[in-house]
Amino acid sequence: MNTSSAVDHTEPDSSHYKRGQARYLLGNRVRALIAYVILLFFVIFAVGPVLYLISPALRDSISLFEYPPKLIPDEPTLDNFRFLFGSTRYLSWALNTIIFAAGTTIISLFTNVLAGYAFARLQFPGRNVLFFLVLSTLMVPVAAVLAPTYLMVREIGELPIIGRPFFGLDTYLGLILPCTVSPLGVFMMRQFISTLPSGLYEAARLDGASEWRILFKIVLPLIKPALVVLGIFVFMITWANFLWPLVAASGDDYRVLTVGIASLKGQFVTHWGVLAAASLMTLIPVTIVFLFFQKWFVQASMAGALKQ
Amino acid sequence: MAEVILKRLVKSFGGVRAVDDVSLQIPDGEFLVLLGPSGCGKSTILRSIAGLEDATSGEIIIGNELVNFTDPARRNLAMVFQNYALYPHMSVRKNVAFPLETAKMSRIDVAEAVNRAAAMLEIEDFLDRLPEQLSGGQRQRVALARAIVREPKVFLMDEPLSNLDAKLRLQTRIELMSLHERLGITTVYVTHDQIEAMTMGQRIAVLHEGRLQQVGPPTDVYDVPANKFVATFMGAPPMNLIDGNLNSDKSKWIFVFSDYRLVIDQDQMQINEITLGLAEGVVSLGVRPEDMRLGPSDGDGLPGIVRFLEPIGSDLYVTVTVESHSVQVRMPPKTKVAIGDQVRIEFDLSKAHLFNANEENLRVQKG
Repeated sequence: MNTSSAVDHTEPDSSHYKRGQARYLLGNRVRALIAYVILLFFVIFAVGPVLYLISPALRDSISLFEYPPKLIPDEPTLDNFRFLFGSTRYLSWALNTIIFAAGTTIISLFTNVLAGYAFARLQFPGRNVLFFLVLSTLMVPVAAVLAPTYLMVREIGELPIIGRPFFGLDTYLGLILPCTVSPLGVFMMRQFISTLPSGLYEAARLDGASEWRILFKIVLPLIKPALVVLGIFVFMITWANFLWPLVAASGDDYRVLTVGIASLKGQFVTHWGVLAAASLMTLIPVTIVFLFFQKWFVQASMAGALKQ
Repeated sequence: MAEVILKRLVKSFGGVRAVDDVSLQIPDGEFLVLLGPSGCGKSTILRSIAGLEDATSGEIIIGNELVNFTDPARRNLAMVFQNYALYPHMSVRKNVAFPLETAKMSRIDVAEAVNRAAAMLEIEDFLDRLPEQLSGGQRQRVALARAIVREPKVFLMDEPLSNLDAKLRLQTRIELMSLHERLGITTVYVTHDQIEAMTMGQRIAVLHEGRLQQVGPPTDVYDVPANKFVATFMGAPPMNLIDGNLNSDKSKWIFVFSDYRLVIDQDQMQINEITLGLAEGVVSLGVRPEDMRLGPSDGDGLPGIVRFLEPIGSDLYVTVTVESHSVQVRMPPKTKVAIGDQVRIEFDLSKAHLFNANEENLRVQKG
């Protein structure tokens, strides 16, 4: 080996080195500090309201309005929760919400995957026009289609055989089905499925697999992270949905949590403490669902790495 | 096993003809290489045979059966993709078993067939690994195992070696050939690498811009290229071409390039009188680098000045400027020559080709 090239082997100037190092580390710390201050500012806005719910939930109606207001109550009480479970139909609302959210999630995953697969992989006339149409419904506000959807569900509910008790206003299917096709879900599934290398489909086709087999054996396992993410989104959105359940399931038997909590707000008297307790209870299941599947969220955000 | 016949195959994408009127007959058990630069339509032909593309017109016949309207799965062929297309979420075993399970074969038969294929390709040791845990060469073997496990009638291979490094490519090339020898399955192999084509193909079909240029055994295609494209595409460095004129002078045919005159010897160059007569006018003279040598500067060869020297160990490539042309000559490694030398390039007429204005070789074709 040729080692004669001119390299300076003398000791580096150590004081100069240390000064540089100190400046570098200080710079790093200042940058981190600035970043955390900014982050904290947004965290307060995101988490603050939720934390703020805890306090009234643990107070009685009198201490709620004391002045000056205190964040931590002097005598915390669980009366509000007791009232909630004892004197309202909270548990029935919760059950309805679980059925509504879970049913919507499962059915909409199925429909969105099917539509996304078709738009991503199949060649058929009008594919692009149809996809554009689906996407453009994203622009339509929910409130605008509320009345027509309501009328449709009501009218179909009056039909023999397919109508009540299976479908219509104040039925689970009537509540769930209109929520199971979302343009965003179709779009998301299409994007994910089109990132899979086309060689996989072609190999599977040559291996004799039908479209269904390709979908279930090749595509679904590979887009699992995306499915979970979409599932969580749909679940959380449905869980918090208020407008549609309000009109579609106004009867007591099919009322969901959001509508139920709103009904706690009386015309003359409102138990703010009960309201806060109910809202808090309602947050817990979605939080658990999210924490449980959090790992998948991270995976899906790295979906670009979903190569073979 | 089966014969594959393409009859006037055309495949258009929008207004572009990717495959333009290609007819080919691939006898049972042959290893045919489709060779051409990227975008020449070779992969499209392969995909049309596979059924992944629908032919715009023309017939595709596999084993006496018209398959244009047959589902890919029913054509009973297996394809090896450039990027292997292994199912990333399945173990090697599952990957190889997939076509058999799809065909609803019994579990015992599947296991047996998988083991047989695994043994043949020596992948038994990593049957339970995922594709991502394998090296490129190993993935390649798995892809081959998945292809042979079904005992297909025809093998289609789309540049299967292009993702491997040079050493592995050489090794896999030999393995593919021995696999073909053992199984005797009709194989259509697509590549842009003329060395692969020369070494592996029993016959080569050269394609350019969707058209078939020439079909034949590798040496025939190399020795007597049908046209200028084949002449320059086959061989590295490519055949040297000198543009000049073909004139008749007192019952003799003469190639004229500037002051240089070459009397055409019809016997040596295997060109007949009628062809020469039709080609009179603008022509190109073509000679391969290895058929040329540097002669003394007072000889009667093609005059030029040495521009570059490229020693590659086994040979010395000398680039000579001949007026506006750049000519490469292959010489023994120790040849005494320096940049700037005045030289004359000599060659045997029996190795020289003439191409007419339509770029066709005037030499009588072999076979």
